[in-house]
Amino acid sequence: MKKIIATLVIALCVVGSAMAQDGLSPERKQAIDSLALEKVRDLSKYIKIVGSKETPFSEANRVIDRAEELFMSDAEIGVSSLGSNQITYYRVRKYFEHLMRLNYDRVEIEWYNIEYVSDLQRQPDGTYVGVITIFQTFRGYDAEGNMVYKDTTKKDITVYVKRKETQIGGRTIGFWDVLLGDMRVKETTNR
Amino acid sequence: MKSKITTVMMVLLAAFITIGGTTSCKSKKRLAKEAAEAEYKSRVDQAIKDLNAILDDETLWSLEEKGARVQTIKDWNLQNAEVDDLLFQVEKKLARERAQKEEQERREREEREKANAADAVLGRAFNSIANAGSASQANRVINETLGMFESPNTPVLIIIKQNAGFNDYDRPTTIEKYLNYVKDQKKATEKVHEIKYNSNGKINEIELIKK
Repeated sequence: MKKIIATLVIALCVVGSAMAQDGLSPERKQAIDSLALEKVRDLSKYIKIVGSKETPFSEANRVIDRAEELFMSDAEIGVSSLGSNQITYYRVRKYFEHLMRLNYDRVEIEWYNIEYVSDLQRQPDGTYVGVITIFQTFRGYDAEGNMVYKDTTKKDITVYVKRKETQIGGRTIGFWDVLLGDMRVKETTNR
Repeated sequence: MKSKITTVMMVLLAAFITIGGTTSCKSKKRLAKEAAEAEYKSRVDQAIKDLNAILDDETLWSLEEKGARVQTIKDWNLQNAEVDDLLFQVEKKLARERAQKEEQERREREEREKANAADAVLGRAFNSIANAGSASQANRVINETLGMFESPNTPVLIIIKQNAGFNDYDRPTTIEKYLNYVKDQKKATEKVHEIKYNSNGKINEIELIKK
């Protein structure tokens, strides 16, 4: 009996220390992993809406506001093209304004293969940091509906997830704040 | 001489039996009377104790259990002035408690029906916005839906995970931003978890949960 109790105590200590190191159960960790991925998917939709020539200006501006809220205040988004080796980095709002002004009659932007290349890892300050990679296919069309430009870009987005608290209706609500950091261009091809 | 002695013995025996029997019968009656009095006293004491406990809210009995106890005491028919007075007070108290309980149940039923109705209406609204054929159609449903809320800034909490009674939330947002989010993303992946209303019957806080 004593042996069983001793084994249980040791097992609990091991599990406890494993939990303490990461601070989260696997289920909760999975929930914030999914939340961060969802924010990146949300961003892809916002890029599509702002990029669309059919979106009214006021609506595009509202969506840019929402998209900006997804990012850290100093985050930058990289833009590349097949005609140049240079990668230009824009602040989030500038990136979207640039996207609205693209000189095509119609654009199609699609994101796919959105996945973690580096899992969320807990940092000493309690923030979880990870990297999500995405592939973006961009197609630009002229007035006659001909595709005049196409590229596929692989981009890495750093994600930061931090536990925060706020007051709502007189009670303290703890929540996970997901913020996107820089979106770096890794590769651009004509595929 | 022998015959005389036998006769005297017989008479004495008869007298002893007669006297002894009468005494025994009287003793049994007395004992029974004492037992009845003791039981009566015990019931009166118990009734007073129970009724005072009910009056002073010192029992863990449910309202139904209190009612049953009162009925038992009434069935004892103790005809004791103190017990009768306490019964009168307790019955009045229980009638008040029953009325309060019924009122509370009615309010809870109404809140439930209201929440279920709001739940259904909001669920349909979220789906209509997500599946709207155009932005203007989605905006029309958004404006209609906003009418159910205290203001466009009514807080929206989204539960991403429930674990052992503990909620993990996404960053809080407002109902206007949330409805536009549903429109932009063309998806309604949350359902109503809890709704709070202000005194005017408008929603002043809503909790959603990932489906």
